[in-house]
Formats: sequence, C-alpha cells, structure tokens
Amino acid sequence: MVAEEIISPDEVAKPDGPVSGADKFEAVIGLEVHCQLLTESKMFAADANAFGAEPNTNISVITLAHPGTLPKVNRKAIEYAVRMGLACQSEITRHNVFARKNYFYPDLPKGYQLSQDKGPICVGGGILVKVKDPETGAPYERVIEVHHIHLEEDAGKSIHDADDWATCLDYNRAGTPLIEMVTDPCIRTAEEAGAYLTEVRRLVRYLNICDGNMEEGSLRCDVNISIRPKGETKLGTKVEVKNLNSIRNVQRAIEVEFRRQIELTETGGRIIQETRTFDAGSGQTFGMREKETMNDYRYFPDPDLQPVTISDEWMAAIESTMPLLPAQMYQRFVDQYGLPEYDAALLTDAREMAEFYESVCRYTTNYKAISNWLMGPVRSLLNEKSLRERQFPVDAERIGTMITLIDNGTISQTAAQKIFSLMAEGATETPNQLAEQHNLIQNRNTDTLGTLVEEVLAAWPDKVAQYKKGKKNLLGMFMGEVMKKSQGSADPKLVNALLVEKLNQ
Amino acid sequence: MTIYRSFTAVQADLQRGTLTCRQLVDQYLDRIHEFGHLNAFTEVYAEEARQRADALDRKAAAGEPTGKLFGMVIGLKDVLCYQDHAVRAGSAILDGFTAQFTGTAVQRLLAEDVIVIGRQNCDEFAMGSSNESSAFGPVRNAADPERVPGGSSGGSAVAVQAGLCLASIGSDTGGSVRQPAAFCGVVGLKPTYGRISRWGLIAYASSFDCIGPIANTPHDAALLLEVMAGADAYDSTVSAKPVSAYASATLPDRPLRIAYLKDGVDSEGVDESIRKATRQKLDALRAAGHIVEPVELKNLPHLLPTYYILTTAEASSNLSRFDGVRYGHRAQGVTDLIALYKQSRTEGFGAEVRRRILLGTFALSASYYDAYYTKAQQVRRLIREETEELFTKYDFLVSPTTPSPAFRLGEKTADPLQMYLADIFTVQANVVGYPAIAVPNGTDEAGLPIGIQVLGAPFEEGKLVAFAKELTNSPA
Repeated sequence: MVAEEIISPDEVAKPDGPVSGADKFEAVIGLEVHCQLLTESKMFAADANAFGAEPNTNISVITLAHPGTLPKVNRKAIEYAVRMGLACQSEITRHNVFARKNYFYPDLPKGYQLSQDKGPICVGGGILVKVKDPETGAPYERVIEVHHIHLEEDAGKSIHDADDWATCLDYNRAGTPLIEMVTDPCIRTAEEAGAYLTEVRRLVRYLNICDGNMEEGSLRCDVNISIRPKGETKLGTKVEVKNLNSIRNVQRAIEVEFRRQIELTETGGRIIQETRTFDAGSGQTFGMREKETMNDYRYFPDPDLQPVTISDEWMAAIESTMPLLPAQMYQRFVDQYGLPEYDAALLTDAREMAEFYESVCRYTTNYKAISNWLMGPVRSLLNEKSLRERQFPVDAERIGTMITLIDNGTISQTAAQKIFSLMAEGATETPNQLAEQHNLIQNRNTDTLGTLVEEVLAAWPDKVAQYKKGKKNLLGMFMGEVMKKSQGSADPKLVNALLVEKLNQ
Repeated sequence: MTIYRSFTAVQADLQRGTLTCRQLVDQYLDRIHEFGHLNAFTEVYAEEARQRADALDRKAAAGEPTGKLFGMVIGLKDVLCYQDHAVRAGSAILDGFTAQFTGTAVQRLLAEDVIVIGRQNCDEFAMGSSNESSAFGPVRNAADPERVPGGSSGGSAVAVQAGLCLASIGSDTGGSVRQPAAFCGVVGLKPTYGRISRWGLIAYASSFDCIGPIANTPHDAALLLEVMAGADAYDSTVSAKPVSAYASATLPDRPLRIAYLKDGVDSEGVDESIRKATRQKLDALRAAGHIVEPVELKNLPHLLPTYYILTTAEASSNLSRFDGVRYGHRAQGVTDLIALYKQSRTEGFGAEVRRRILLGTFALSASYYDAYYTKAQQVRRLIREETEELFTKYDFLVSPTTPSPAFRLGEKTADPLQMYLADIFTVQANVVGYPAIAVPNGTDEAGLPIGIQVLGAPFEEGKLVAFAKELTNSPA
C-alpha cells in the first residue's frame, strides 16, 4: 500500500533545550477540530453510528457506495451542528448546500466526501478561554475566533497492520457525521491551544453532541502552525500537524514544531508547506507529504441532495433544546448559590456534575455544604470507582437530607461521614434510618451530658486547676474525654457550652 | 399468435380467458430467441419469468385481486437495480456485480404484478446515442439491422419495437429514452425531473437523470409512469407532488397553444424527410383548430455545450466509486494503489466513458472551473428562464425528436461531435427538467421511423400524454 510517511531525521527538532531566537519569533496557530456527532445513525444513511463494533458490520449499500444508491440527510446532525454554532455565537446558515470533495482513497467509498464548501452551516463566532501566561503565570482571558463550522461525513479506516501483505478496510466509520471547526489563525501559544481544545471538549459534552473522546478519535485536532518575526503581520509558510490524540500532545506538537521552524529559519533553512505527523513516543514531528501544490478536490454541489433549509420553526425548536452553557452555569453558581469562584468552576466543569449539584439543591439550601460534599467525598468516590454522576449510588435527595441532619444538629459531621460511606456501599435506607440503626443520633440531653461533664472534671482535678490558672487550651482535652465517654454521640456544641459553664463556676 | 401492441389488448384477452400470462411470457421468450441477433437483451430471466407468470395466473384463477399492471411483460435497462440480479450498466467495470436491493421504480412495478423478462442492453453507463458503446456489443435496429437503434436505451427501444416485451423501463439523461424511441418507431416518455425516484438507478448525471418508460402507446407509457412516480424516502431530490391518473387525463376544452421550434422544420441540419413529416403534423394540428406558432430558442446553440459540460462533470464524480476496491472489476498483478486505480478503471471503462470522465474532470478542475462548470450552470439557468418564459405563452413545444433517422452502425463512432448532435432536440428537456414525450411520426422513404417530440410544462405529464394520444390517434 501507500508509503506515506517519509521520515527525514535531519529535519527533526530537539525536543528540549533553549532555542536561540525563540524570543524573536511568534507562532501563528490555527486549529481544525473534528467532532464525531453522537447521532444514532450516519450522516446520509440509516446505518448505526457506533464505535467499537466488529469491522464492516455497521454498513449498508449506501455506505459502501453501491451503484444506484443515494444519500439522505440526517436532520439530527444538522441540529447538533447548529447547537455548536449557537454555543459559539456563530451566524447560522439557513440554506445549506452539501458539496462533493472529490479524491480517491480506498477508505472513501464514493470517491468523494460529502462536505460543505461554500456556505458552511456556522460562520464566525468564538470561544472564550481562560489561559495562564506561560512565563508570568498571570491568568488572562481571550476569545479564540471561530472562522466557521461545517458538516461533513467521516471516511472509513484503512488498517495497515492487521495483515502482513494487505491493507484491510473497515467501513463502519464511513459516513459518520462530523463537524469540523476551524479557528482563525489567532492562537499564539500551546497554552491557548490547550485551553481552546479543553473548552471545545467541554462544550460538545455540555451540548451532548459528541463524547469528546480524543483517544477513540471522536474528537480530533489538526494544527496549522507557522512562525514569523514578532511585529510582522504577514503570515509565514504553514505546516499542518496531524495524528494528535490528546490535548497534551497537541500542546507538545506545537512546542516542538515552533522550535523546529525557528531552528530551521535561524540556520538558513526554508520551511515548506507540508503535512507532518506527530510521534508521541519521540515527541517529534515527521514530514508526510508535500503540499506545495494544493490538492484539487473539484468541489461542486452534490446534485443528489436538495439543499437543507432551516426554517424559523426548526431553528426555534433547536434553540429550545439548548442547555445552559458552562459559562452561564458558572455564573449561576456564583450568583444564585453564592459559591466561591473556585467551587463554581470545579462544579461546572462537566455538565453532569453541575446537574447533580443542582438536583441536590432541591433538598437543602446549604449550597456551600453541597459543594463541599460533591467536591470532596462524592468526587473522590466517582474517581475511585470510575463512575459517571448518573450512576452514583447515593441519590440527590439522600445527600440533601444528610446535610439537613447535620445542619439541625441531629447528626455530627463524623456521623455523616459514616452514613455517607454506608450509603455509598449500597445501603438503601434513608440517612435518618441509618443514623438510628447505627446509633449516630447526637445526644443533646443536658442532664446526661451534664453528668458526663462532671465525671470528667472530677477525674482530672489538677488539669481543672491548670485551666483555671489560664491554660485555656485544656478545653479541647476535656471535650475529647466527654466525647469518648459518650461514645461519640454527644453534640459537641452542647458539650462545649456545658464545659465552659462548669469550669467558670 | 398476435404480437400485442397495447396493454389494453393484453388485458382484454387475459380477461376473456383467451390468454394467460404464461402464454405471453412463452411467446416473448420465443421472440427474444428469434431476434437474438438484435442483441437487445444482455440477460433473459426465462425460468424466473415463467414461474412468475404461472404464479400470477394462479392468483387470477383463484379470484384474488391482481395488480394494475397484471400481465404486463417488461424489460429493464441495464442501469436499474433489481435485487439478486446482475446489473452492469453495459460496462466491464461492473463485472460480476449483483444488485443487493431493488430500486423504487422497479419495486413499485413488481408490486403491481409486472413480469420482468430480462435485462436490456444499453450504452455503457447510459453514455451514448447509438448503443454502440456497450461492453455487450451494439444493439441493432429491427427496422434495419445495419442501423443503430439510438441510445442509450437502445436495447429497451428495440425490445418494444420487435415485440420482445410489451414495454421497457429506460433512463433518459439527454434523450436516452426518446431518441431511441424515435429511431425505433415507439413511444418514449421522459417525466419531469424528480417525478420518479432515482433510488436504484445507476447514476450518469444526477441532476439530469430520469427513469422513463418506452412503450407502444402513450397510454401504456402513462400507466407505467403512474405506478413508478411519486415521493420516496430514499431519494431527497424526488418530488412530493401527488401523482395523478396520467393515462386518463384529458386536454383543456379549448384550442391548444402550440409552439414549434423553427429550426426543427427549417434548418438544413435536419433531414428533409423529418422536416416534411413535422410540417405535416403541424399542419394537421392547425387544421384541428389549434394555435400553432414558430419560436426560436435563443439558447439553442448553447444547449449541447451546457449539457455536455454539466453531465460530464457530474459523471466524473458519480463514476469515481468504480475503483476496483469494493466490487466490480479489479486489475490483476498491480502492486500499488495508484496502479490499482489506473489499471482497473482503464480496463473496466470503455472509450466513451473514459472520454466523458476526462472531460468532466477537466471542467471541474481549479484552473477551468469558472470558465466551464460555473459558466455552464449560469447558462443552464438562462435556458430554464427562457423555457419558463416560453411556457407562459404556450402549452407545448413541438420539435422533431432527432435531426435524422437511425444512422448506420459505425457511421458516427469516429466523430463524437456528430454523434452528440443526435441529441440536439432532446437535451433541452433534461437541461430544464421538463417532461417530454417522443412519439412515432411516420417513416422516411427507406421505411425508417421518424419521431416527433413534445415538451410539456413541469408535472403536467397528464396533459402531455393526452396530447400525444391526439398526435398519434391512439386513445389507449
């Protein structure tokens, strides 16, 4: 089969070490992000759109481009693309034409890819990102401008390593709906690129249009990067870097490519317009094929498809399905729930966690306490057991009730921890029932607690004397003894009050 | 035994009990054998057709309701997908290919109890005007076996002409149903673009392709259209307009406003016998009280260039799927991908198909895109506007179907431009998407059939058919 990767070791940049001239140049970066849409069927056929099936099982005569077949637009895919456009505040194209992008490749069954050429479904817009300056560490915000978002279909997969002599083809992925988001060449650093990708991933997950999984390839990113002397406004020759399966690798590739281009320029070399592949093992990029003359894809409107017009009604229906976006959710957490920014950011990072938080809010108004429980025990348990929020064994109501029980003094914080563990391990009882069953209801009886206090003070006369001479921190020790005697059931606030009262008599 | 020339006659005899489906099929099978030298069929479904005929006869005998087209024996042009049957588009590149589904039009015909007797020869990928570009060899005209039947649905037209089946289903991209119908003295109907689903029709040029019937009478063609037409979830370019009873439609009760193409009766480029026959027909219409007026199409000289640029552009892309990777012909002994593509396609496609792929690729290439593809799209719009304007004043546009009667085999194969001129009157309907019908209009001195064509308003196939009946004096 085709040998695409021509490895040229002399062009390889050193991954580390200072590069002379790094402060003289700036990087100009644009990202092309492909998101596979979570529709049930393919972009132009009814075959299932699913990852991980046996090769060539989610295929049909349409996917295989049998003669006589025709495409049919999946309206869900249009809706998902519009959602992303709305999230980016793009202008939505109402009259959508699909075009054929013609080229030959074995994993492209029709010999053309259905895409959009003129008039992508979303035009303009941008995504606000928060970035830390790599040198000063100072945080700053900026909008990464989205040039456009267009809809297209994915190709199949050529598998070169399954057989010793043949290339195997799996067409399951062929026809999967994709949106391709193209930014303006406005990104300057690897940090900005990372922040943008993180935000895109968060958005597609919030919108529930893509699972955002870079390792499985449902979210893919190609980097276009060139360099120019600082202050220069003209663009340099751009290089496209592919094969980036994590946000970290996108950042590494940008860093290494920035260095390589500077070194090449500084040593009198010439940057050629080409596609390079990133090798995560060595952390280097390698040239793939020269792109000096652009491929001629002979785009033309697909005569097999009617243009898809998004009516006002349809548009309104799509708008009504829009969830709160992360930024809006964050603001609500700060304003409505009075949470510190740190809490709000953490809780709204993923839509499921934010929704979980809000569902607990139906049962208690101690918003900060909910935040503490969710960011603490709940989150660590989710991580530990690799669970999604909706799979969490303790429902919102029981978490809310538990917080109420703490707040009205029925149980102690320690007892709550115990109740929480029991529920997390599968107990189905309510927090009240569990508190009773396990003797965790706080003792708030002044008579019995007063007796315990007197017993403790009687047992430590010399400490009492020291306390009275001014060693006030002995109060803690008396508290501990009383709690011990009550086997942990005493209400610490009440014990504290009783102790102070007795000691000051 | 009678050679049936209308479905009405077949139905009458079936009804009367003097004929069975099985007898019909046996008769057609005998004739297909007898006229094998015409090369109209590339595959005959003899046993299958007999079995289906028997099953239909049993159904009728049992008093069960039968379909609208019960007893109609038809052939399918080799570009229509019929599940578990080979389909080759007259090409070597589809060697060994079997359709895995039945196209919508064929499915609807089967549901109305037609009997499919075989697969009919055609120009490779429906590209041709003489049926000489088929990988299965040329088809011969039954009126004179040294002459071509026209194309690309040549086998389909000859099969009706020679009485090898009652009707055929062809496809018409620039005249491929009407031009062979004219050469063979039968009726060819190209409906409005989008009237019949293209699901299951192997594409030549998607925005021009129409499935169309070839029959002995306008009435039979209309019956077939009624069954095949209508909305279909598998084709997003098909029209959702309701299908009316085209076969029983009538003309408005007033003199018709009939335009005729001045060049069609005046131009030196049109055969004298055809000009004469057309003039006579127009005189008859005038005599019948209709308004008959000459018109000139400003864009007539642009029709063929527009047609050939756009159809070849679309074809170059439509035929990319034939790459030797998933099905069909794959070159042997190649060791790299590019060679696999080049060899498979060079071996699999014939000269005319290769020529059109090259032309279309050129028209779409970056340096020539605007000069050819974009310009042709613009001209297509102008032609449509000019035609629309014409139809605000007239009900029909009449012209000869072809500038000459059937020519000799090999006469034009060396000169593609001469060959393309055979489509001069038929391409307009496809460029603008209007319906058109070709009906017989006598013969020349040598006895070769002459055709006359009528272009109607979009989705007015009923009126078109009614007018064609008047033109041919054949009510059923």
